[in-house]
Amino acid sequence: MTLSHYLALSGALFTIGLFGVLTRRNIIGILMSIELMLNAANINFVAFNRFLYPGQHLGHLTVIFIITLAAAEVVVGLALVMTIYKNLKSAYVEDYNILKG
Amino acid sequence: MIEQIVFYLLAAVIVLSALGVVLLRNVMHSALSLGLCLAGVAGIFASLGSDFVFAAQILVYVGGIAVLILFVVLLAGSASDLITRQINSQWLPSLVICAAFIWSYLRITAYFSGIAAKSAPAPTVRAIAGAMLGDYAVPFELISVVLLASMTGAALFARRKEE
Repeated sequence: MTLSHYLALSGALFTIGLFGVLTRRNIIGILMSIELMLNAANINFVAFNRFLYPGQHLGHLTVIFIITLAAAEVVVGLALVMTIYKNLKSAYVEDYNILKG
Repeated sequence: MIEQIVFYLLAAVIVLSALGVVLLRNVMHSALSLGLCLAGVAGIFASLGSDFVFAAQILVYVGGIAVLILFVVLLAGSASDLITRQINSQWLPSLVICAAFIWSYLRITAYFSGIAAKSAPAPTVRAIAGAMLGDYAVPFELISVVLLASMTGAALFARRKEE
């Protein structure tokens, strides 16, 4: 296994997540696609650490921090989604236009 | 040989379940597929020899985030979701953007082609613990402040308004 295999897998995962962010109508689907993109970045960090800098651990530390920040992001995002859903009774992003004034 | 088999099996699981997350009509099925995809990414971490990240991925992503998203799917759905379209009308420009991204990404990563691992993977937990409490103690403490702030924010949004 070379580094290119892992980079190609991560690129495929990131592209699928990007397509999901651009095309899903459901706000929860968009949040899930963002999780896919974060995981693709994590694969890249660990793979670069393993193949280019064996014996160092900055890539692993960065991935731990990204996982923690993703958990915080998803908690706040889902709390926001629940609040918006309670007010608007819709989970589709094209209905979220109350900031237009 | 066994390394190749494991990698391609995990890659197939990850890509197929990620396509399921993006393309399935039922959001419940998407959330279950997301759990499978995150578990596959954890397997990739294990095959790369990073044991602590593997454990953190299972604990936080598969055990926490996927379950949390499942709860919200159960709370914020309606019966009409199963018959309405889940993809907006901009899928063709999105495909063009994705193709442009993957083309430029492959151009960039071609620089790293043909690099094989020089040594066998070694346990990382002790070194990560030393770094977290040594050189990277300040980011480690800052991340706990971020977690506290997000917990407070989520509780603030989710509480019932008192009249």
